[in-house]
Amino acid sequence: MSDAENLVEVGPASEFEDGDAEIVQVGRAEVGVIRAEGEFYAIRNQCPHDGGPVCKGNVQKELVGEFKGTGKRVDQQYSDTDIISCPWHGWSFELETGIHIGDDRIRVPTYDVVVDDGIVYVDSGD
Amino acid sequence: MIDAEAETVVDCDWHYQDSFKEVAEYMPEPWHTKYKNSFWEDSGVTQALSSFFPTSTGDRQNYGKVLREHSNYPEEPEDPERVTEGMDFLDIDVSLQISHLILAMGGVTADDERVQAFTKGYIEYMLEEVLDPDEGVYGLAPMPYGDVEASLDILERVEDEEAYVGACFVTAGASPPLGNRKYDPIYERCEEMDFPVVYHTGGSGLDEYVRAGYQEMIETHTLGFLESNMSQIVSVACQGVPEKYPDLDIVFMESGVTYIPGLVSRLDEEYLKRPEEAPLLDTRPSEYITDFYFGTQPLEVSARNDLLELCFDMIGTDRLLYASDYPHWDFDSPSIINELPMLDDDERRAILGGNALEVFEI
Repeated sequence: MSDAENLVEVGPASEFEDGDAEIVQVGRAEVGVIRAEGEFYAIRNQCPHDGGPVCKGNVQKELVGEFKGTGKRVDQQYSDTDIISCPWHGWSFELETGIHIGDDRIRVPTYDVVVDDGIVYVDSGD
Repeated sequence: MIDAEAETVVDCDWHYQDSFKEVAEYMPEPWHTKYKNSFWEDSGVTQALSSFFPTSTGDRQNYGKVLREHSNYPEEPEDPERVTEGMDFLDIDVSLQISHLILAMGGVTADDERVQAFTKGYIEYMLEEVLDPDEGVYGLAPMPYGDVEASLDILERVEDEEAYVGACFVTAGASPPLGNRKYDPIYERCEEMDFPVVYHTGGSGLDEYVRAGYQEMIETHTLGFLESNMSQIVSVACQGVPEKYPDLDIVFMESGVTYIPGLVSRLDEEYLKRPEEAPLLDTRPSEYITDFYFGTQPLEVSARNDLLELCFDMIGTDRLLYASDYPHWDFDSPSIINELPMLDDDERRAILGGNALEVFEI
């Protein structure tokens, strides 16, 4: 459990539906707290590409492809990985890790989320 | 029945055998001199027709300005001895022969077997009369890639022939583009044989390929070859050929080098926004493309050296292969590489020969 002084209150967990995002200030950063399939994630609301509001983008499953053999069409399916896509230009990141789905050298900072007594907090890490 | 002799008869398709020589005397300048210099008197009816009303936007000899023998298509059939003469002229020890005639295959849309027949005949002719590993004369086997089975037949034919060291795809006109799964069996076989795939851009259909309405060869020759290679690089990379066949060596020929950084930068830019459309890639397209090899000709010696240096750095001097394109009119001599100031001697040696010896296992 994080120190209480590191926690930034976001609001009651019961007020989040899947796909909802709430923006809070964590230190000098805007952070989006997002609920996807019942889990809470927190990711900085600033796209490393052009500063766009990542957390206002769509949350979807990542589309992946598998080579099924010579001459066969690439099998495309949605994986179990949740991604969030910046609404400005489409740069997309794994919701859990903040890693860009096309280049793992690019990453949006993520934060731990704590739900305590029905209240959602972001751990500032301070 | 009428009496034809008594009737008026109209023949609607009569061909007057006019002569350019005669007509040109009546043409205004500069056309009179321009075409008088373009060898139309010497080359027979067919060649004169082509140089006067060229099927591309220009005369390869630039209306008599390029006077070197064989800079244009020779009237006489090729003589195998000219290969070693040309190698002596350029001081080249090993050459990889690419069929000149197959460069036009991109313009063939007929659903028949002419390309297959040509390539099979070419393979035998070259083995019998031209290729000679003892003299450093090797060949690239042209792939009639529109017919995958025929391509596999050719690969099987040349598999144990020392003289053939790679497969050649003429890129102009390939439809669908060469990253399509249709061609997978050829790539799979080439990988299995350790046979590099050489994508060689081609001149056929350049005018249609780029922009109908260009007026001069300088326009189509600047963009046509380039656009042909670029379209295949994008297809091969985005469709994941390097992921499907990771041990396949991929070589792109005949577009210089300065286009590559621009292309990969633009492609990466797209990829970061739309990676789900290239789902086989694990990282940026540029990471795959800079693993490809690139023939240097025609190297842009007109470019600033710092730009060339930047391009060489981005591609990697271990990925560059000297190519002359001899005897075509815009051939490059080895000195073009040797005199680049930003290279050290090891890099010069690598580009001029070392890289190719390794890739083609010569």
